[in-house]
Amino acid sequence: MAEANPARINLFLLVVLLLGQLLVMAGSVRRDAGATLLETGVAKVGEPVVALTRGAGRGLDGLVGFFSELARARRENALLRVELERLRSEVNRYREQSAENERLRRLLGMREALAPRSVAASVIARSLTGSTRMIVLDQGRRAGVREDLPVVAWGGAVGRVVLAGEDYAKVRLLTDPNSGVSGIVQRTRAEGMVEGRAGDPLEMTYVPKYADVVAGDRVVTSGLDGVFPKGFGIGRVIAVEEPAGSTVKRILIEPEMPFEAVEEVLVLTERTGSALLEAGVPPRGGP
Amino acid sequence: MTLLWAVLALALALAGQAVAGNWLPGALRYVDLLMLPVLWYGLARSQRSAMLVGCLAGALEDAWFRAGVFGLRGFDKTLLGWLVGGIGARLDLNVAWGRAAAGAALPVADRMLEFGLLRLLDLSPGSLEPVELLGRAASGGALALAAFSVVDRLGSRRPRPKGSGWSR
Repeated sequence: MAEANPARINLFLLVVLLLGQLLVMAGSVRRDAGATLLETGVAKVGEPVVALTRGAGRGLDGLVGFFSELARARRENALLRVELERLRSEVNRYREQSAENERLRRLLGMREALAPRSVAASVIARSLTGSTRMIVLDQGRRAGVREDLPVVAWGGAVGRVVLAGEDYAKVRLLTDPNSGVSGIVQRTRAEGMVEGRAGDPLEMTYVPKYADVVAGDRVVTSGLDGVFPKGFGIGRVIAVEEPAGSTVKRILIEPEMPFEAVEEVLVLTERTGSALLEAGVPPRGGP
Repeated sequence: MTLLWAVLALALALAGQAVAGNWLPGALRYVDLLMLPVLWYGLARSQRSAMLVGCLAGALEDAWFRAGVFGLRGFDKTLLGWLVGGIGARLDLNVAWGRAAAGAALPVADRMLEFGLLRLLDLSPGSLEPVELLGRAASGGALALAAFSVVDRLGSRRPRPKGSGWSR
């Protein structure tokens, strides 16, 4: 009996593996929500390794940080005492203002603005490569994280959950080329779609040429996309172009969120509509 | 035993990639540590093992470092495993210059293949910048040389005839 040709066997194996991957891809594209069983399984297999690196990294960080923190702590302690006194007086002032605010809201029949419910999560992995800008969080469906929920940090928009496993979630960052969020220029209320462009600045599109936008303007989420509540910071305009023959401006935005440094985030688990946070007051006579 | 080494190599690559992602996030644009096991098995072992390791490495990358279609990176790395294994079987690339050349070429081919596949799937592939490709080539070549020399030094590269068992 003739011996099988290894090259042919390898070619056959290649075809089988590639077909298998195509089937997996088809299943991944067709899924309505959540990770496929295979993806969850692979993530679970790799989870101990990633968790270990995270633990080791934190340990090393902690050791290095300990000594520098010790010296800094003394200096900061004195400053913090002063700051504490200032904040105490401010808190008292805000309490007064909050009570006054509530009275006025009731008076005007406005809806009470409630803080959205959220899940705090740590970043356990991130990928900022050519075609992908994403992070992986250590909280998943078990904690109430679902697909399409907004992720924020430090008052700024971070991204959107694109996949939620049992104990992890993948978040597509605003800078991902496949990301888009509805934004509004805080000063003039000009609206547009803010799209990611990987390593380059964000681009705000669909802003008409007559809209008043200049470099330095702050752009925040508009709440119109049904994902992000209103008022979370996106970035600042760094350039405004008016391409010849086009009816819209080309606006480049420098993100205000240092995506590569984000370590803890909040996943807003409650859809809150668009009237949750104030994005600013429109100017008199503005568009 | 080969399977155990493959799993260990993949675990190390995954750990390295996770650490790099957290400490030097920008570097991940130029560094693909999960490609190293594929390269190693392609050059030092066999085409078949390179394909299988590529398939597993791609799945891990999809699960932990990609938010798009699951399976895409596996497809990509399986194909590259087949390619590097095939070339490695015909030419003796398991020498310093060959390792560096293959280590430089593979991440570039990987990025270009990913770009093409994403375009085919009508997803935004980002821009294919020469600086990124050059960075990937440089880091890939250097990492291949470094990783192979460490493996050589550790003596885990036992003289084993090509084409035995799983590594056929």
